[in-house]
Amino acid sequence: MSVSRDDFSIAFRSALLQRGASQKFSIFSLIIIAIIIFFLDVYGFAVVKTARGVINDVVYRVSFLASTPKRIFPSLNSEIASHFNLKKENEELRKVIEKYKALELNLEYLTNENLNLKKVLNAENISNVSNIILAKVLVDRNSPFLKSIIVNKGSKEGIEKGMPVTKDNNLVGRVVETNYLSSRVLLLNDLNSRIPVTLDADNSQAILSGGGTAKPKLEYLPEGYEFTEDVNVFASGKDGIFNPGTPIGETTIDGEVDLFIDPNQLSFVTVILKKNEKKF
Amino acid sequence: MAQLNILNKIYAAGPLILLYYLSISDVDANLENFLEIFSINLQLIIIYFWMIKRPTLMGTGHVFVAGLINDVVMGFPLGISSLSYLVVCFVGNYIRNKSVNTTLASDWVTFLIALLLSNLLFFSLINNFSDLVIPFAKIGYNTFFTLFLFPIFWFLFNIYQMSFIGSQDA
Repeated sequence: MSVSRDDFSIAFRSALLQRGASQKFSIFSLIIIAIIIFFLDVYGFAVVKTARGVINDVVYRVSFLASTPKRIFPSLNSEIASHFNLKKENEELRKVIEKYKALELNLEYLTNENLNLKKVLNAENISNVSNIILAKVLVDRNSPFLKSIIVNKGSKEGIEKGMPVTKDNNLVGRVVETNYLSSRVLLLNDLNSRIPVTLDADNSQAILSGGGTAKPKLEYLPEGYEFTEDVNVFASGKDGIFNPGTPIGETTIDGEVDLFIDPNQLSFVTVILKKNEKKF
Repeated sequence: MAQLNILNKIYAAGPLILLYYLSISDVDANLENFLEIFSINLQLIIIYFWMIKRPTLMGTGHVFVAGLINDVVMGFPLGISSLSYLVVCFVGNYIRNKSVNTTLASDWVTFLIALLLSNLLFFSLINNFSDLVIPFAKIGYNTFFTLFLFPIFWFLFNIYQMSFIGSQDA
């Protein structure tokens, strides 16, 4: 019995403390270092924050380069396919141009009407469209647990934590971490994402909760609310973070929201430089 | 002869290169477009297999750095992936010290212990000490699929070992 206990303790100690030709560090010492780094980072010591910012900027750039094959091969494939479909594509583009020409005629009329209506309503929340930054997505690694992207603009351009991020005027997420040259954007379908929204059918208020899946869910709706399909969902702006009326997606019959922007297909996004009333 | 030596070194560095590449790139084993709950932690399989079979190819210092890089890319608190990787290293080291010869079955069973310890540590640290919230179900699915697919990678890595590095166990 004592022999087997000795064996156990010898194997245990050896596994934890042993070093060899290629093992320059013992597992025990590395575990201690990892624990120290973890707690320094979690409790937000200034030195670690600065160091993390620098490491983030370097690693994100390297990660962007390392992911090049993943980006190049699908685009090469689609480029070859599109080369063989040039004629068809040309016809489709002509149709699109005709459509946009028709739309352009209506645009001036609608713009004037919009301005007049805003004057009538004395609207307060007219956002300044010049305060936006176009950012390129560096890394969109789909973690099994977190849904976030890294963009190539950071505090150098004035991006701050909490700023809303959009694509084609549709809400994509918000900035949760800023470095000097890069930022991390928490997507709407992340487990930790909660956004106050309004539904256009009857102005019902709800919270859009990410579940780590492709479609976030609507929660805290009025009692007895029955879901119908294709009801537009907008940011309500009640949190003081997102602009009221920013489109998000459409409801499904299961109470989920089909996002207008696919979170897995982001290449460029827009960060809205807006001072937040809320502190993060 | 010198060329052969360089080639051998490159082959021997293969597992480490794969570990670093998986940590730093946005290539991942998360096929949520096909099956929403599917996700595996390939890094843990790589670390465990090579710690058991050829610990000389999988330096713990490298495992530690790969964990740190993974934390930065994923947005986790620094050090948490390193810790979970090192727990797998520790269990692998212990099993190697205690056993004379390993088979797929024994490796699979002991990998379950390593995986459970590693993911339990990851889950408790992230939910108790950081602002992030990860449901137990997500970790559970990840653990299940990682364990379930272990034999496939065991065979693949074994083939790689026998073809490029040599068949001798540690």
